[in-house]
Amino acid sequence: MSESYPRPPNHSMAEVVETNNKAVFKPKITVFHCFNAISSTAGADSNEYDISAVRMPCSSMTREVFLLRAFEAGADAVVVMVCPEGDCRYMEGNIRAGKRVARVKKILDEIGLDGKRLNIYPVPEKDLNTIDRIIKQTVSDLAGLGPNPAS
Amino acid sequence: MIVGQQKPLAEIKAEVVPFSKLLILGCGTCVKTCFAGGEDEVATLASSLRLAFKKDGRQIKIEELTVERQCEDEFIKEAAAAIARNDAVLSLACGAGVQMVANRYAKSPVLPGVNTTFIGILEKQGLFTEKCLGCGDCVLDVFAGICPVSRCSKKLMNGPCGGSHGGKCEVNPDTDCAWQLIIDRSKDFGQLDRLSTYVPPKDWRTSNAGGPRKLVREDHII
Amino acid sequence: MSAGKLQEILSQGKFAVTAECGPPRGANAEVVWKKGALLKGYVDAVNVTDNQTAIVRMSSIAACAHLIQMGIEPVMQMVTRDRNRLALQSDIMGAYSLGIRNILCLSGDHQIFGSQPEAMNVWDIDCMHLIHTVKDMRETGKDMSGFALDEPPKMFIGAAENPFADPFEFRVLRLAKKAAAGANFIQTQCIYDIARFKEWIHVAYEQGLTEQVHILGGVTPLKSAGMANYMATKVAGITIPEAIIKRLEATPKEKAAAEGMKICLETIQELREIKGVHGVHIMAIEAEDKVPEIVKLAGLYPRP
Ligand code: SF4
Ligand code: SF4
Repeated sequence: MSESYPRPPNHSMAEVVETNNKAVFKPKITVFHCFNAISSTAGADSNEYDISAVRMPCSSMTREVFLLRAFEAGADAVVVMVCPEGDCRYMEGNIRAGKRVARVKKILDEIGLDGKRLNIYPVPEKDLNTIDRIIKQTVSDLAGLGPNPAS
Repeated sequence: MIVGQQKPLAEIKAEVVPFSKLLILGCGTCVKTCFAGGEDEVATLASSLRLAFKKDGRQIKIEELTVERQCEDEFIKEAAAAIARNDAVLSLACGAGVQMVANRYAKSPVLPGVNTTFIGILEKQGLFTEKCLGCGDCVLDVFAGICPVSRCSKKLMNGPCGGSHGGKCEVNPDTDCAWQLIIDRSKDFGQLDRLSTYVPPKDWRTSNAGGPRKLVREDHII
Repeated sequence: MSAGKLQEILSQGKFAVTAECGPPRGANAEVVWKKGALLKGYVDAVNVTDNQTAIVRMSSIAACAHLIQMGIEPVMQMVTRDRNRLALQSDIMGAYSLGIRNILCLSGDHQIFGSQPEAMNVWDIDCMHLIHTVKDMRETGKDMSGFALDEPPKMFIGAAENPFADPFEFRVLRLAKKAAAGANFIQTQCIYDIARFKEWIHVAYEQGLTEQVHILGGVTPLKSAGMANYMATKVAGITIPEAIIKRLEATPKEKAAAEGMKICLETIQELREIKGVHGVHIMAIEAEDKVPEIVKLAGLYPRP
């Protein structure tokens, strides 16, 4: 599954932020995760970005409005981490979450916030490497997208 | 149930632009079932609108409320205080609900947030289909329980047109030809020959063609 | 007033020939005159389409009136898509007053594929009701309300049938309904699948329907393999067997039209031999100049 994620560029995140975005900003990322997928995102914080994590008993509880409210609360990007397909303890939670994310991406596009600020990734159980890579990818994407224009 | 679909965000935004305090009023009956105007949709829309206005550098205060049914006075009474507090109401009910609210609260602008589309069913998860046009003179008995008025694109009463193909309607290959269904079902009952009887033109007076309709139940008027 | 030529020919048991003329998208009567001039003398009557495929054109009644002035007998097509029963009846009276003697009653193509898909359709009544209405006018002298008309229109009534549409088992039943409602003649959808057509008319013949109603088989000469493919896949209600498409594909491009013509003539020949077929309806849309050639080569010229 490592192939499915584009690798972040090889230079430091601070550099990226500086070059692509002129004014330096410290991205705020909200991570929704199913506690079956990962037990904690602790340790993922850094000087370059802020992370707030929202734990859910199952990814099927990802409701549209929660994702939107995260943006209202100032998130520059929202990441939903779910169990890989077929691994959901509650059968289809991750599929449902995928559909809802797709719908909210559309709403974000309509608002003009850019649906690319919201992404969903499958994460094999407690795979910290993958989590780390996803966060780095998000930070690098944000360098291009800039801060949330509605915050 | 009445099936409807939320209007595009841009259209709703344009409707509410003159107001700074807005009540989004949901309805917990039909439009909730078809995911157009229940609590969840009210919350999602409120959040989307707040974000959209904030992005444009504008503030809008949005209050959310969902009542059981907007087409009954009994239930919309509950919204009185919330309506009084706001500049306008964006109703996510069907067209009937919107008008009921507008009728009771004559001083508040009441705007539609949903396009009311048809009387239909939940055919399967995520799929709603039209089944009735409310013609006021039901003829389902003649047509093996399948309504040619709402489900045949040409409202044909005497058999399929020449465009019926492979069970699908000429108008849309994703739509079943109502007449194929009528014939199949009649065959299942062993009543295909019934369809050889000439069905006279429909009397449309009972439909909307006869003007807005009213139903009076004397036994319920006290 | 006297009956029309088409009615006369069919009731005398002669093999009838009709063709089609689409009115212009505009008020230019010359277009109708030109098409009329091409067809005059080669066919017994000319169908004039009514906003065919839901594309807005000069009205069928007006174009019919132009043909009458040229001494050509028209078959006025009338669809129930665009007019309610009030308008349909008044137009039938008006048409009759202008000398129109034949009507082809249709439900019409859906407007969604036409030039103005945003239009509201009518379909107050269907083609079966229209047939019934015109028959009642003729036989009882009354309109749909039962009002006795001052000089009721006495039209020779036609209807369309598509032996190739689904569900097949209902197609003969529908023909029977049209005959019972009052249709005097039927013009069919273009025939390419002659086997299926034979199957359909055989059942009709067995049921005695071909005695009650004159059936005119529809033909349209194919111009190319491309046209055949397009009609087979894109036009609702048309079936073209693989063999015919292959035959055109195997023909060099410049000879394809001639091959299409040959196929058309073969079909007419077969139709003439089928019991219960009383005529041919040549739908050479925007190729009216081909009609005289077809009629002559098919040995149907001169006309009675
Ligand atoms: S016949 Fe009329 S009342 Fe009955 S289902 Fe159809 S539209 Fe509705
Ligand atoms: S294809 Fe069937 S449903 Fe569609 S218009 Fe024709 S008869 Fe009606």
